[in-house]
Amino acid sequence: MADRVIRGRGVIPGFVEGEALVCPASITGWGGIDPATGVIKDYDNPARGETIKDKILVIPGSKGSNGWSCYFSITRVSGAAPRGLIISNVDASCGVAAVGLGVPTAVDFPGEDNPCRVIRSGDRVALNGETGEVRILDKGGKA
Amino acid sequence: MVKLTPEEQQILDGGEGRLRQKALENVVRYAEVLGADSLCTVTKATVFCGRHQYLEVCGTEDFDTVFSQAQLGTDEIIPLGENSIAPCCQAQSCVSPCDRTTYQELSQSEDFFRLNRHYLDRAREAGVTIVGTCSPYLNGWIPIPGEHFVTTESGMTILGNSLWGACCNSDGIEAAFWSAICGRTPRWGKHTKEGRVGNVAVQVMAAPKTSMDWDILGKTIGDRLPSGAIPVLSGDFSGASFNNLRQFLTALAVSSNCELCHIPGITYDARTPEEAFAGRAPEHEITVGAAEMTATYGKICTPGEGPAGLVSLGCPHYDISQVKRVADLVKGRHVADGVTFQVWTTYPIRHMAEVNGYLQTIREAGGEIYTGTCPTTIGKDFLGQFPGMVFDSLKQSGSVRSSVSSPNYLTDMEQCIEAAMTGQWKEGYRWRIG
Repeated sequence: MADRVIRGRGVIPGFVEGEALVCPASITGWGGIDPATGVIKDYDNPARGETIKDKILVIPGSKGSNGWSCYFSITRVSGAAPRGLIISNVDASCGVAAVGLGVPTAVDFPGEDNPCRVIRSGDRVALNGETGEVRILDKGGKA
Repeated sequence: MVKLTPEEQQILDGGEGRLRQKALENVVRYAEVLGADSLCTVTKATVFCGRHQYLEVCGTEDFDTVFSQAQLGTDEIIPLGENSIAPCCQAQSCVSPCDRTTYQELSQSEDFFRLNRHYLDRAREAGVTIVGTCSPYLNGWIPIPGEHFVTTESGMTILGNSLWGACCNSDGIEAAFWSAICGRTPRWGKHTKEGRVGNVAVQVMAAPKTSMDWDILGKTIGDRLPSGAIPVLSGDFSGASFNNLRQFLTALAVSSNCELCHIPGITYDARTPEEAFAGRAPEHEITVGAAEMTATYGKICTPGEGPAGLVSLGCPHYDISQVKRVADLVKGRHVADGVTFQVWTTYPIRHMAEVNGYLQTIREAGGEIYTGTCPTTIGKDFLGQFPGMVFDSLKQSGSVRSSVSSPNYLTDMEQCIEAAMTGQWKEGYRWRIG
């Protein structure tokens, strides 16, 4: 079966493959992740206990305090950064985090290609941050 | 492609030094990520100075290394020199992890207090006025309609956009520094007319009256908003006041990524729903009422009864009327043994509280007024010691909940004070809609 391909707007170039971590309700930044390990601490997040480290993080946008981007950007320094970002619709906090992390990033997907619905945590995906193309290589994720 | 003015191009070419050049490089890259095609001039900024807990991962205390890595996003060391803030921009500091003078009472070491002071001093030398509050408007930092500002405080973002018609995106801590240094931010989102049009209709079936009613309503709506929503509210808002609105808007902002909320007739941009939606149909419609608000509260306030070791009031930082109200309620009483009772505000308001005798009254009741920070910003080393915590703010309660797992209770100021006096959280203190 052919890989499912969705296409957004490529904003931070680079090509990366990896395991997706999908957070349809996003992640709270301030207090929501451990900046040293990337582990999600958000008290009401279904992905609590998972880590963003080395994942291709899929979120609809940001959530919570303006202290959002800094908790993601600082993982560049701690070594707990995600490999790539896939954001359904870019917002200001996500834009700053994308610049701070500098990892391949695609944003602004059309509604029918909403990555938070099309991709499942555990899927293996390939992200092209230049073209905005996201290829789902292996639907191994939880339905 | 971002179109730059000759002045901006000159900064980008390095004509005003490496720091301002790097700041503008980041702003331009940020503009490209957003899809903005030009920049706007920023005249007010609040920036997040101090040695915040998350900066520990940098593995060094050296200010310039930490500033470059965490705020500028580079391993190149670019010092934050004297007078680095853009001349066009009035920059003030948000909270830092320390009170202005006290550290032992807040379980902090003198070494950490001094390190934080050093970080604040470096920011001050760069041109940032050290104010130390999440509520800069209490000290007169108030953007006017159409003014472009940046802030590290989500409550300030949504308040400035909604109530005052000023323009701000929830950029974040790094970008607030970039903008304060180069004086620019992307012309995108809330900085444009199009980016301020309502897209979600919210019918509120309850009539919020108390501060906690508004707080819970904020999260109840925020939890239901799609990403990027600009809600337009309808309902009975006769209970609105400045303090109720800042409680509501702050809770709404931290429960979603909402930066602007229209309440026609109360907020700035629109007098009518039609004006708020610019004549378009809403993309989503949401209805909330007492049942939804009660369910929200049930999810966030720990069930049962238990000890109340910490009772903390003032998120966002209290104004003088709220401090007076606390003094009136605790006058002639004393908190139970073992209870830490804190009131949080700004430096000038604390001084006004002293002048008016409120500080003395609160101290005689066993409490203290602090400034410059708040429990969640101090961090888990402080919070972890308490067997139970009581807050009058959804934002504070929620921020703390992700860091420490001890019982976390939420209610209005009056019931918080009862918990402080008895040293216990009781069923009767729970919030119920008026």
